[in-house]
Amino acid sequence: MATLAELTTRLCRVSREQAIDPFSRLTWPEDMTRDQWFMSPELISLYDTDAWSGLGESERRILSFFELINFFSINIHGERMLIEGLAKRLYRKNTETISPYLHHFLDEENKHMFYFGRFCNAYAGKVYAEKRFAVERDYAEGEEEFLFFARVMVFEEMVDIYNRRMAKDDRIVPLAREINWLHHFEEARHLAFGRRLVAELFDAWRDRWQPDVCRRVGEELAQYLDATWKEYFNPEVYKDAGIGDAYALRRRVLESAEVGKRKKAICGRSARTLLELGLLGEESIT
Amino acid sequence: MSDESGVREALRRWIAETSGKTSMEQLTDDTPLFRSGILKSVQVSDLIFFIEELTERPVDVEQIKPGVFRDIDTIYRSFFESGHA
Repeated sequence: MATLAELTTRLCRVSREQAIDPFSRLTWPEDMTRDQWFMSPELISLYDTDAWSGLGESERRILSFFELINFFSINIHGERMLIEGLAKRLYRKNTETISPYLHHFLDEENKHMFYFGRFCNAYAGKVYAEKRFAVERDYAEGEEEFLFFARVMVFEEMVDIYNRRMAKDDRIVPLAREINWLHHFEEARHLAFGRRLVAELFDAWRDRWQPDVCRRVGEELAQYLDATWKEYFNPEVYKDAGIGDAYALRRRVLESAEVGKRKKAICGRSARTLLELGLLGEESIT
Repeated sequence: MSDESGVREALRRWIAETSGKTSMEQLTDDTPLFRSGILKSVQVSDLIFFIEELTERPVDVEQIKPGVFRDIDTIYRSFFESGHA
């Protein structure tokens, strides 16, 4: 297995050789009718629930538009958090190995935010607001650093499942499909980097942390995974799609068996990675 | 919901149920929610949605100041008293 230094060198080379300019690559239609599929139906938050059964084909397609705007908004907020965190870590002590790749990571994330933001503003006239709010707390040595990269990994793995599926879905509008493909293409490198870095950081710290710190880190990542999943269920989306009682609907579908099944399928990969590191228990993916 | 005691009661119930680490009886209006570990940072999104549902208006996260979720009393004064966010 390649070392982190070898992986970083290879990823830097691939980033240079396979660089894509999204500013010139994407074609932006003047306008888009909302009565089309923008998101794969199976990935829509209400899919397969009672609420879904109550919607006609046209209403489902309109919902798919707002669900895609929410998905892109989640990406914008997640990547902004990522860019802030990566920029803070450039050229810090002990980052000599990874700093060269952090430049590519930052550059690519900035470009991703450009196309997500342009799509949301051009066709919906807005980006859905973020509802996360970090409450400050004290950290053990190395804990904040580890949690930052582990959260990034969890976030990107979940996003990538949506990207990969929609990149291949001929039912959805071409621009949405292309954006999903572009994002997946570059995120594959970020994921390879993130998994290796998280594993190395955990190896470096796990024996130095008290057991309660290890437990706290595991709990926090499990909760982060859950909170990230819940972001895909946005009451503002339901209101914009003309579906009433949005907050109660959100609670109801999140508790439904259909959504629970989908959660296991979509969150499973992140949960397995955390399980392999020894941060989650077996029960979290069964 | 506009009745103050009803709002405080609803917040107390929601926090106790969400946390699983305390009961409605143990939870007072000035019990620290995050410093005591009753709620975690990642549960703030759900709390914001619950506040939006009660106030029937969106919460602008960009305008939120640190400490606003310190306890039930602070939440009430920040989001439910007239003239506040």
